[in-house]
Amino acid sequence: MIGRGLKIVIAVLGTAILIMALYLMHLRREAETMESAPMAQPLAPPASGPEQQVTVYLPNDEDGSLRALSVSRALPSDNGERARVALQALITLCLRPDSRHPLGEGSAVQDVFLMDENSAVVNLNARFAEGHRSGIEVEWLTVESMVLTLKAQLPLLTRVRFLVDGNSPESLAGHVALGGWLEVALVSEAAARQGGGAE
Amino acid sequence: MLNRHSIFVGVTALLFLLQARAVAPAAGQLSVFAPQTRYQVDVGVRDGVDYVGLTDLLEPLGQMEAKASGASYVLTFNGRKSEFRDGKREVRASGTATIELNARFVILDDRGYVPVASITRLLPYVTGKTVMYHPASRRLFVDAAEFSFTAELRHDPARLVLSFPSPVKPSIAIEKGLVRLLFQREPVVNAGPDEVAYHDTFLSGTRFREVPGGAELTARVLKTAKVSSSEDGRTLTIHAAPGAVADAPPPEPAPAITSTSAAQEAASAPAAPRGPPFVILDPAHGGSESGSALSQTLAEKTVNLSIARLLKKDLQARGIAVALTRSGDETLTWNQRAEAANTSRALIYVVLHSSADGHGVRLYTAMLQEEAGAGEDGRKRRGFVPWEKAQSAYLQPSRHAAAAMADECRKAGLPVRESAAPVAPLNSVTMAAVAVEVAPLGKEAGELATAQYQEMIARALAKGIAGLTGGGGKAR
Repeated sequence: MIGRGLKIVIAVLGTAILIMALYLMHLRREAETMESAPMAQPLAPPASGPEQQVTVYLPNDEDGSLRALSVSRALPSDNGERARVALQALITLCLRPDSRHPLGEGSAVQDVFLMDENSAVVNLNARFAEGHRSGIEVEWLTVESMVLTLKAQLPLLTRVRFLVDGNSPESLAGHVALGGWLEVALVSEAAARQGGGAE
Repeated sequence: MLNRHSIFVGVTALLFLLQARAVAPAAGQLSVFAPQTRYQVDVGVRDGVDYVGLTDLLEPLGQMEAKASGASYVLTFNGRKSEFRDGKREVRASGTATIELNARFVILDDRGYVPVASITRLLPYVTGKTVMYHPASRRLFVDAAEFSFTAELRHDPARLVLSFPSPVKPSIAIEKGLVRLLFQREPVVNAGPDEVAYHDTFLSGTRFREVPGGAELTARVLKTAKVSSSEDGRTLTIHAAPGAVADAPPPEPAPAITSTSAAQEAASAPAAPRGPPFVILDPAHGGSESGSALSQTLAEKTVNLSIARLLKKDLQARGIAVALTRSGDETLTWNQRAEAANTSRALIYVVLHSSADGHGVRLYTAMLQEEAGAGEDGRKRRGFVPWEKAQSAYLQPSRHAAAAMADECRKAGLPVRESAAPVAPLNSVTMAAVAVEVAPLGKEAGELATAQYQEMIARALAKGIAGLTGGGGKAR
């Protein structure tokens, strides 16, 4: 025969186990939600410096055009960081709900490395490539707009290379080859051919 | 009061009317090849038009429900609803699209019948699948179920090696000077020229043709031959039998299996041009690599292949020799595609893409610095060149080809853009090379799967390419 005291202890322990199990499930759900949520926190310290006009080239899927647009941003003195801020400004505009060339949620530029005054390496985050739509034109408009935006910041730039999360990808989303250096002059010429507003 | 004569006339008229409404069977069969199944359906004739039953045709392909009520016939296939009316040509498919059949829709015993000639146009709307119909063999390929083969003449000892992406087991007939392989169970099609001359001491040539229910490959051999198959069934080798001696020159191959309709079609079709192809078409992606998802059910690789086949057909009708890098759902790397183009000795390479974004047709040439001193045909080049820059000597002919295709697309009323872009494998192709990306005219990606739009694109591109031949594809 089980005593009354023992029954109470078993009941209390059982209730505690149940509550802990529910709490554990809640914690797990929360962790999963955090994993799948886009990175909301900044990847680099906010740029400091005087507000200046930055020229970005906004792509438009409807007619395949690129439109030069001036936006105001606080630009740091470092050239690589200035280039990153300019590219991030372009991406921010593309992430807006009314964008005519939408990019995947969480797309960002992690770094822009300047090898010398003529060569830049742009490191995009993994979400940029994962969330990008697939197709020659949509991929090429993205690349063209970034190269022209960089060129506007770095007038001596002659070649650009793109990395995704530190690795050299074969293509952006299955169509446009990104394995090597892109000649800025050829990109500008191509943009001008299709009325893309290259300088 | 009716007399006997009136009753007789009335009964005869009634019987005549019933007879006229019936779809007579025994007009042959339609072979359907889908990735998951293969079956045959009966084809009936009514008023001289071949008809096929929708239930017979679609039931093995997915979830199907059909309901006939009076003159109305409603078909639901994998959740897509289509409405037909007895005696009418118009079909309302998937809520919005109206398709016109070649002949009237017929309801008989609550079963719906459509003209065979309309199934290529109708089925993409009704089922959301891509289909290709080969009338000469009465074979219908669903979702790119067909596959092609490669034929290579090897020496020491001389033998013809046929390689297939899937196992095959053809019926084999060997007679003096001829080896016939008849493929009826396998969806074998031909991606290259139908007739190939080898001028070898063992093999003088091969001929591929579609016969009712299948395809036949005939090899003209000069010695007694044997056919052996590899263990996995993917390779067939035609070789000389042990102790074989030279036979008398073989006669021209006579049709082994034929019918009036197939013979008539063969007679009316333009002769397959001989020699290397003028143009090599490359439907991008394929196999495990689907390309972009144009819609929930439509993969880019399937649309690319459909357009390539239509373009091939159109070019061949203009007397232009064409080859395809893939004619089924095969996986090829970009390097394999460039290699296939470069070894084909063609003059133009066209890689076909499709996209749900934007509108119309986009044409791209390689993004490379033009090689100094490169001629119109790129032949001034000397010495070794990097694989990634092989196209640099051919930029002028590439731009010329892109402009010619763009002009014809504009004439057809299609929005067109031309540009240069780093698109694989253009940089490694040693001939005029153009990438074409086709987008819908409107906002619906489903338009890309319609035969009407695909035919319009293929026609415009074919006209552009034909304009480059300088006369019927003969100028090389």
